[in-house]
Amino acid sequence: MAPTGDDLQQIAEQVWASYLDTDGEKPLVPLPPDKLSRDVVAGVAVSGAWHGLVLVACSAAASKEAAAALLGMGSDEVSDGDVDDALGELANVIGGNVKSLLPEPCTLGLPEVHNDAASDPWLIGDEICRFEATWMGEPMEVSVLEKPQGGETE
Amino acid sequence: MKILIADDSRVMRQIVTRTLRQAGYDGHELIEAEDGAQLVEKTKSESPDLVLSDWNMPNMTGIEALRALRASGNNTPFGFVTSEGTQEMRDTASAGGAIFLIAKPFTAEMFKEQLDSILG
Repeated sequence: MAPTGDDLQQIAEQVWASYLDTDGEKPLVPLPPDKLSRDVVAGVAVSGAWHGLVLVACSAAASKEAAAALLGMGSDEVSDGDVDDALGELANVIGGNVKSLLPEPCTLGLPEVHNDAASDPWLIGDEICRFEATWMGEPMEVSVLEKPQGGETE
Repeated sequence: MKILIADDSRVMRQIVTRTLRQAGYDGHELIEAEDGAQLVEKTKSESPDLVLSDWNMPNMTGIEALRALRASGNNTPFGFVTSEGTQEMRDTASAGGAIFLIAKPFTAEMFKEQLDSILG
């Protein structure tokens, strides 16, 4: 039992329809962007019968738009804390749904936001699936990483 | 009625507030808690008519907070609004005394379905 890219797409589209595109004007377009961005990476750790991370990564511009949409304010009004909270919550909701597709029993950690993805040891793992999309012209990706046995998820 | 919304995410507290409005529950007094410990404290001090709580929170989880309330004799109606909706969690929530579990992402219709009998 393992999640697939199609599962991630389905979950992400539900989350967008419920929270980020409630009026149908800001759809998550399931087309890979020209260039991926990992300016902001939010994730939740899963531990137990399976160890790994569920991640949401996007550009800085997309992260501000997401926070603005979730908080119902302008993108120029959101703080760094709002962005971390918003992306962390997206990772949390997507992670909770992904967890139902993983071996049981597992527990979900609290969301974390990491802004230096290239050199962050927390983000090391074997990618088992990914969904790439474009949102408001900006790159957005959801992925699941499996940690080697005993890998650090905390 | 007074409703306590407990979630460590300000964004999610705001979304729950907005969804309550979209579901037609205007005019209720809303108060907030940022973790499980605050949930217990405010449920005792503010006597809400309903608690809507996240599961996974720092300091004390939602289920730990629910168990603490029930152990102290507090029977405030309590429902979970959480990112996980497995049968195991629903059973655990029910055994702890929760009256419902709404899984995220939720809609206003899902709120109405669970809350109409309490707030309607």
